[in-house]
Amino acid sequence: MKGSRILLVDDEVVFTTNMSKLLTNRGYFVTPVNSGDSAIRELEENDFDVVVLDLKMPGMDGITTLKEIKKLDLFTETLILTGHGSIDTAMEAIKLGAYDYLTKPCEIDELVAKIEGAWEKKDDALKEDMQEKIQKVVESPKSAFSLFGKKKSKK
Amino acid sequence: MEKNEAIHSSAHERHVDELQERRKHYYSRFFRRFAFLIITFFLIPLLLMGWGINIYYTKFARDRMTSSFHAQVDNHRKIIELFLRQRSSKLQLIANTHSKDYLSKVSNLARVFEMINLEDSSITDLGVIDGHGRHLAYIGPYDLMDKNYSNAFWFKEVMEKGLYVSDMFMGFRKVPHFIMAVTRTEKGERWILRATIDTEVFRSLVENVRIGKTGEVYLLNRKGVFQTSPRFRGKIMEKVPFPVESVHEGTRIRVLEGDTDDKERSISRRIVAQTWLTEPRWMLVVTQDYSEAFSDVNHANRATLAFLFLSALAILIVTVIITKYMIEVIKRRDVEADQLNKQLMQAGKLASVGELSAGVAHEINNPLAIILTERQILLDLMGQTPDLDKDFNDALLESLSQVDVQVQRCKRITHNLLRFSRRTTSVIETVNLNEFIEEVIELMEREAKTSGIKFMPDLEEGLPPLLTDPSQLQQVFLNMINNAIDAHEGSSYGSIHISTRSDDHTQGVQVVFADTGSGISEKDLEKIFDPFFTTKAVGKGTGLGLSICYSIMKRLGGDISVQSEPGKGTIFNLFLPYSPPPDLKESIDEVLEV
Repeated sequence: MKGSRILLVDDEVVFTTNMSKLLTNRGYFVTPVNSGDSAIRELEENDFDVVVLDLKMPGMDGITTLKEIKKLDLFTETLILTGHGSIDTAMEAIKLGAYDYLTKPCEIDELVAKIEGAWEKKDDALKEDMQEKIQKVVESPKSAFSLFGKKKSKK
Repeated sequence: MEKNEAIHSSAHERHVDELQERRKHYYSRFFRRFAFLIITFFLIPLLLMGWGINIYYTKFARDRMTSSFHAQVDNHRKIIELFLRQRSSKLQLIANTHSKDYLSKVSNLARVFEMINLEDSSITDLGVIDGHGRHLAYIGPYDLMDKNYSNAFWFKEVMEKGLYVSDMFMGFRKVPHFIMAVTRTEKGERWILRATIDTEVFRSLVENVRIGKTGEVYLLNRKGVFQTSPRFRGKIMEKVPFPVESVHEGTRIRVLEGDTDDKERSISRRIVAQTWLTEPRWMLVVTQDYSEAFSDVNHANRATLAFLFLSALAILIVTVIITKYMIEVIKRRDVEADQLNKQLMQAGKLASVGELSAGVAHEINNPLAIILTERQILLDLMGQTPDLDKDFNDALLESLSQVDVQVQRCKRITHNLLRFSRRTTSVIETVNLNEFIEEVIELMEREAKTSGIKFMPDLEEGLPPLLTDPSQLQQVFLNMINNAIDAHEGSSYGSIHISTRSDDHTQGVQVVFADTGSGISEKDLEKIFDPFFTTKAVGKGTGLGLSICYSIMKRLGGDISVQSEPGKGTIFNLFLPYSPPPDLKESIDEVLEV
C-alpha cells in the first residue's frame, strides 16, 4: 500500500540508494540502512511496516539481524532479499519468522508485490490485535491505559 | 587455450605412463620379494629338517650296521673257535681215556679214528708220537710211519704247552693243512696224539660265508698269511700285501679308503671288522664294500634328497602361484582404487567448483541487482520526462530492454551455478518413469523434428513407480535430449533411442539415451562431467549441463556414465533407484517441516 514505511537493509550502498529511489517513486517511505546494527537502531526508534533485509552482510548478518528484530516483538514484517540464493538460508529465515524471500536480481514489480503481501499480513495482524485490545477495553475499561499507552506498536 | 589443454593432456598421459611404469616395477619387486621371503621361510626349515633327519638317520643306520657287522664277526669267531675246540676236546678225550700202548696198536688207532670220524670226517689222519718225535702208530692216507718230528716246530710247541694248533702249512703233503696235537703224561713219559684237520671242512666253514655281493670272510695268521682263501683277492697260504695289526682283544671295525692293489686293480672303500681267535692266534677278517654295507643308508639318503628336492619344487611352484595370485589381487585392488580415486577426484572437483560457484553467483547477483535497479531508475526517469525525443526514447528503451535480457541471461547462469552447487531443494514424488519420459519427449518433439531427429522410445512395460524428484529428473532428461539434438548438428537426420529397464537386483531402473550424433572423442570423454567443460560454440553452452546432471543423479542416489564412438554416436547410461537415498529423504523432510 502506498505510504507504507519500508526499512531497506543492504550492505550495498548503491543498491539501497537505487532501490530507495524506485520504491519512493512508487509511493513508499523508504529508510535505507547499510548494516544490521543500523537497522535495529532504526526499528527501536521508528515504526516500519516492512523490513526488506539482505542475508549476507558484513558484521551482523541477515539471520542475526532477523533474530534481533524478532526480539523487538514488533508487528513489522520482514522480507528477505538475498543475492545468495541459498534456499537453505532462506528457509531458515522463514523458520525464524520472515514473511517470504526473493532472490537478487529481481524485478521491482516482484519486490513491490511481495512488499504488498507483507504489508497486508502486518495490517491483518495489527487489526486483529486492535480488535483484541478493544474487546479487552470493553470488558475492562481500566486496561485502556496500559494497552494503548505504548509509544511503539508492539504486540 | 587449446594449446594449454593439449599440454595439460600430454602431461596427464605422461603422468599415467609413469604411474603404470612405477606400478610395473613395484609388482615385479613385490613378486621377487614375496617369492624370496616365502621360499626362504619355507625352504630353510625344510632343509634344516631334512639335514637333521639325514644326519640322525645316517648315524642311526651306521650304528646299526656296525653293530650288526660286529655281531657277525663275533658269531663267526665263535663258530670257528667251537669247531676247533670240539676237535681239540675230542683228541684230549681220546688221549686221556686210552693208554699209549693201546693206541700204539694200529688196529686200535684205526678203530678210534673211525669212531672220531663217525659224526663228521673232519680228521684226515691220526698219529701217536712218543716223546722223541717218533711215530708209534699212524692211520691216514699217507705213509708217515718213518717220519721223525723231533725237529718239527709244532713238536716243540706241543711238548711245551700240552695243546697245539698249527697255522696252515703245506708240509709233506703239499696241500694246505694244519694240525692239532695234545700230550699226555703216562708213567712219567709224555706222548703225543696228533691229528690233521681236514682243511676242506674247516675252510668251507669260513669261505662259504656269504655277506652280500662284495662281502668276504677269511682268516690270517700273525704273519699275514691267508689261512683260508678269501673270496676275491688272494689265495690260501699267500701273504697279504699290508701289515697285520698286532693281537688285540675284542673286535675292531674300521673303514679302509679306496686304493689300488699291487696289480693296479682298484680297491673300493671298504668296511673291515677283525678279531683274534684265542687258539690258534688267527685273525678273523670280515670285510664288505662300504657302498654295499651302507646301501640302505645311501638309499635312504637318496630318498631324503629326492623328497627334499620334490618338496622344494612344490614350494617353488606354490610360491609362484600364490605370489602371482596375490599380485593379481593387488592389481585388481589398484584398479579399483584408481577408479575410486577418479570418482573421489571428480566429486572433489565438483565440490570445490560448487563452493566457488556459489560464491561467484552471489557476488554476481549483487551487481546484477544494482544494474536492474539502475535500469529501472532510467525507465522511471523516462516515464517522468514526457517530452523526450521519440528516436532517443526508442533507442534508450531498446538498450534498456537489452540490459534486461543480458541481466536475465546472467541470472540464468548464476542460477545454474547455484543449482550445481546443490543449493536447491528437492521434492520427492512418485513418478511413473515411462509416462514421465513420454512427457519429456513430447516437450522436445518439435525441436527435434526441426533438426530432422526422430525419437525411438523403447520403454519396458510395467515399470515400478519411482520415488524421486521429478523437476530435477526433468532437468536431467531435457539435458540429455538437448545434448543429443545438438550432437546431430550438421546432419540432416538422426535418431535418439530412449530405453528403460527395471532391475530388481540393483533395485532401480536403467535409462539409456543413445543418439546417432557426432560422438565424443576419448580425450573429451574423460572431462565430460567436469564443470565448465564444453565442446559447443562460445555462448551456446555453459559447460554446466552434464555437471548438473551428474550432481543431480548422484544426489538422487543414481549414477550416470557415458560411452561414445566419434562419428557413430553416444550412449548415456543412467541408473535411478526405486527410492531415493536416506540422506536426501532426511533433507527433504526437514524442508517440508517448515
